[in-house]
Amino acid sequence: MYKEKDDNFFEEILERNKYKIYRICNIYAVNPIEPQDLFQEVIFQIWKSIDKFEGKSSVDTWVYKITINVCLRSKMKFAKSNDKTDRFESIHFTRIDKEINTSEQEKFNYLKECISTLNETDTSLIALYLDDLSYTEIGVITGLSENHIAVKMKRIRKKLFECITPKIKC
Amino acid sequence: MYNTKNKMLEQELKDIWNNASQTAKISIETNQLVEELNNKVSRIQKKIRIRDIREMSASAIGILLFDYLLYEIPFPITKVACGLAIAWFVFVILKFKKSKTQNIKTDFSLSLTEQLNNQKTMMAQQANLLDTALYWYAIPPFIMNFIFILGLENPADYNWTNSIAAKILPLSSNLKIITLTGLALFYAFTFWVNKRALTKDVKPIIESIETMQQQIKK
Repeated sequence: MYKEKDDNFFEEILERNKYKIYRICNIYAVNPIEPQDLFQEVIFQIWKSIDKFEGKSSVDTWVYKITINVCLRSKMKFAKSNDKTDRFESIHFTRIDKEINTSEQEKFNYLKECISTLNETDTSLIALYLDDLSYTEIGVITGLSENHIAVKMKRIRKKLFECITPKIKC
Repeated sequence: MYNTKNKMLEQELKDIWNNASQTAKISIETNQLVEELNNKVSRIQKKIRIRDIREMSASAIGILLFDYLLYEIPFPITKVACGLAIAWFVFVILKFKKSKTQNIKTDFSLSLTEQLNNQKTMMAQQANLLDTALYWYAIPPFIMNFIFILGLENPADYNWTNSIAAKILPLSSNLKIITLTGLALFYAFTFWVNKRALTKDVKPIIESIETMQQQIKK
């Protein structure tokens, strides 16, 4: 157990997981909440919970749990208030314009659009699935059985494919 | 049938998904971030401390005030009301303290289903506190105030001379009626504020948690 906040451990977690966290925050952020706000809230919760990490699951799985829980909670809070989180000056987001492939970007927008048609919990399942996590890992994060996930994923994939196939083909 | 075409599409979606984050660079200055995080934790703790002090100090001031009135006022019925008011203020302090110790802390490292159960229990506790506010936060103090005012008699009958208290207390019948009406309106407003918080803030959150729980079960 990490009794004291270990800055190196924290830095290692952030470096390894920052893009995974951002991808999930990106699909959960709905105006006026921005992905950066959710990202920072996730980082804050990781920092607050790091002492309690017991190593029962992998660090990455633990980070996913926090990310999904924070993002889903923001959906609940959103209805209650529109308050934004504080922005940390130590986190910088920079767009890499020169490497943006417009076709890729367009496809991602389609994907995001189709994911937004799913409900909140299905969104978290598909996000974890697209991040290439196994059903076992998704089970640890969501608390669902592998069989349950398999059934749900079959339905979610079907819905997603039906939505995105005509868009990508166009 | 899960065919090759779908597998290809699935892989393509995974690639699109993973490449998406490459369009933004995230740089984190860890040392500065740790400082900012510590500052944020301190700020939150300070806010909680201030809120706790505010909640407790209102009752503490009430206890002191009614202690003084219990000692000073000679009218027996009003003395009983002062004693009841002190007991009620102690009860409110204990109720807040109990509610704080019973509060389930949000643990984001739980699984999604556990987290939803946890949050629902937490919100249900809040809902219960707001829903029952009429019975423990509005009616008891109103009854105490009612007895207090009803028990006020003519100071001359008790050879009581306290010009400040005599000026503040509603000793005439007209003043008693006006004060009681004002108090009734105040407690009705308190009740309405609590009900509104329950309907506007807490219930929608419970509903959205239940919706998510249904979604995940399906």
